[in-house]
Amino acid sequence: MIAFGVAVTRSEDYERWAGPGIERVREPDSAVYPNSSPGSIFRAYNLLLDLAAAHGGLEALVLLHQDVEIVDDDFCRKVRAAFADPDVAVAGCVGALDARTMAWWEGAVTWASFTHRYHEHGGGLLPAFAMSPHDVKLPAYARTGQVDTIDGFIMVLSPWAVRNLRFDETLGQFHGYDYDLCRQARAAGRKVVTADLKVHHHHSLELMPDPENWIEANIRLTEKWESRNGGAGARDWKARARRAEAQASAANVQRISAKMQAAARERELLTELESITGSASWRSTAPIRRLAAAARARARRASRG
Amino acid sequence: MIVFGCSITSPDMYRDAAQTGMSRAAEPDSVIIANAAAGSLMRSYNLIMDKAAELDDVEALVLVHQDAELVDADFCARIRRALTEPDVGVIGCVGAIDVRNIAWWEGSVTWGSFTHRYTEYGGGQIDAFTFTEDNHPGYARTGEVDTLDGFILVMAPWTIQHIRFDETLGQLHGYDYDFCLQVREAGKKVMTADFKAIHHHSLDLVTDETVWIEAHKRVAEKWLGRMHPAGLPNWGAANDDWKGRALQAEAEAGAERLTRVSIQMKAEAQLRRHKAEMEEVTHSTSWRLTRPLRVLGEQVRRRRGGRGARNGGPHGQDGTRPSANSTPPPVDGSG
Repeated sequence: MIAFGVAVTRSEDYERWAGPGIERVREPDSAVYPNSSPGSIFRAYNLLLDLAAAHGGLEALVLLHQDVEIVDDDFCRKVRAAFADPDVAVAGCVGALDARTMAWWEGAVTWASFTHRYHEHGGGLLPAFAMSPHDVKLPAYARTGQVDTIDGFIMVLSPWAVRNLRFDETLGQFHGYDYDLCRQARAAGRKVVTADLKVHHHHSLELMPDPENWIEANIRLTEKWESRNGGAGARDWKARARRAEAQASAANVQRISAKMQAAARERELLTELESITGSASWRSTAPIRRLAAAARARARRASRG
Repeated sequence: MIVFGCSITSPDMYRDAAQTGMSRAAEPDSVIIANAAAGSLMRSYNLIMDKAAELDDVEALVLVHQDAELVDADFCARIRRALTEPDVGVIGCVGAIDVRNIAWWEGSVTWGSFTHRYTEYGGGQIDAFTFTEDNHPGYARTGEVDTLDGFILVMAPWTIQHIRFDETLGQLHGYDYDFCLQVREAGKKVMTADFKAIHHHSLDLVTDETVWIEAHKRVAEKWLGRMHPAGLPNWGAANDDWKGRALQAEAEAGAERLTRVSIQMKAEAQLRRHKAEMEEVTHSTSWRLTRPLRVLGEQVRRRRGGRGARNGGPHGQDGTRPSANSTPPPVDGSG
């Protein structure tokens, strides 16, 4: 039996995205747990693990964010295929190798079969590189298989993982739970893999809404895993600090540069649009457009009524 | 006599920016030392300082990047006023206090009377917060600072004789911060003054990140413990808490990088919306119906020799658009 679990903090998101996606792919015997979220995502997910662990016939537990919509009709078959290898503990649709911190995207990403759907600027979508291989050729580095970590917006856990791993509730509220669980699985000798699971992630374009919490979680995770590795990365803290401080400053300038470029581009686009909407021909034909809009509205009303 | 100096790697840029500004600002007896770059910027500037040191009656040496354009016709009077302050070592038009590394803009910026003029996206400019005379924020003030942006540095005579740029630091980055620290270590003041400049610069602020990072490390190593708070992190760790500093900075760098991605994604979304709006307009019946009128209008304008575009178009006399609004102070990572 494949179970599904969601920690819900905004019911409307669940009703709109995660819920319908689960309904699309669930099997008749699937258990579905849409739980309200008691505190951190670590705690909420541990509760879901406890619930799923009680099922004797559990084949996998799918943990997904409330804003994730599974759009893959073949989802359950793909999950079973991913777990055909008994050593696989965690599977996801986005993953990276050489992920050294919870910023896994700074590692070598090998698979990403999702689409980022945003609501800003009238809405739109940004497909990741492996979302539509029939339309967009896969890059040479695209491959499913073993990775260091996966993106936690959708995580599929094996029965072993459900019964033997737990999210580390000491790490914070939200960030880094995925990286930490993958490290735990690998530390126990199990595999973390990507699979060709298709999902939509309905998410704002704001990727860093709480940098302070993110930074704290990053520090805690780095300390946790470096100390377990015998402090391999800590041979020369001074050199690391010097380099990291310089990199942080450089990253800060690059962010400012990106912001300035975005502002400059916006000005250019606005000027372009204004050159049209301010033109004599556009202004002189405004009454025609108003008439046409009124006619369209009337037609819509008539078709509804 | 006020001496001007410039190290040139792009003669065209020098002609369009630095030379134009120096011609505007120089007095009849001013000497202009325009040298081809001799290796690093540090070495090139030291060569100019050596030449200036040999001249008699030098009141100040103005070192100008080739892409910096002085704006004020009364520039010399302004810097003479600023130099009346006792113990002034060096003056600039952008400066900050509590600066801890070469990224001076991470300190508390107190003055920025320049505009960043770019050519990308049709060109435009972003004014720093004291470039125009109105709407100065409450924290704007000229006076003593920790460091200046080096795109324009005005040296007092004492400085010309006694201080040199540190040629061991690299090719370009951090020379201004290091120089200001040297001046302050010698007991002289680093000051901002109200003179205006245009910085003709790309919106790419750091094009050689690896070199910039090396300079950052070298300058921090040189000054930690020598001049407080140089070499300390921005968040108040102890000098030797290297583990804490490393973990914090690595996390901050990650957060900055993700934020940049977020900004780029928003810009992409904005571009798509704009394209959709443009398509809606240009595919509308009224726009298509009035196409002959626009073609006719275009022909008339062309026949008139484009006078309209020069006089009343959206672009200014120099082909760039004026800044649309007051933006946060632009910072320049190339300094």
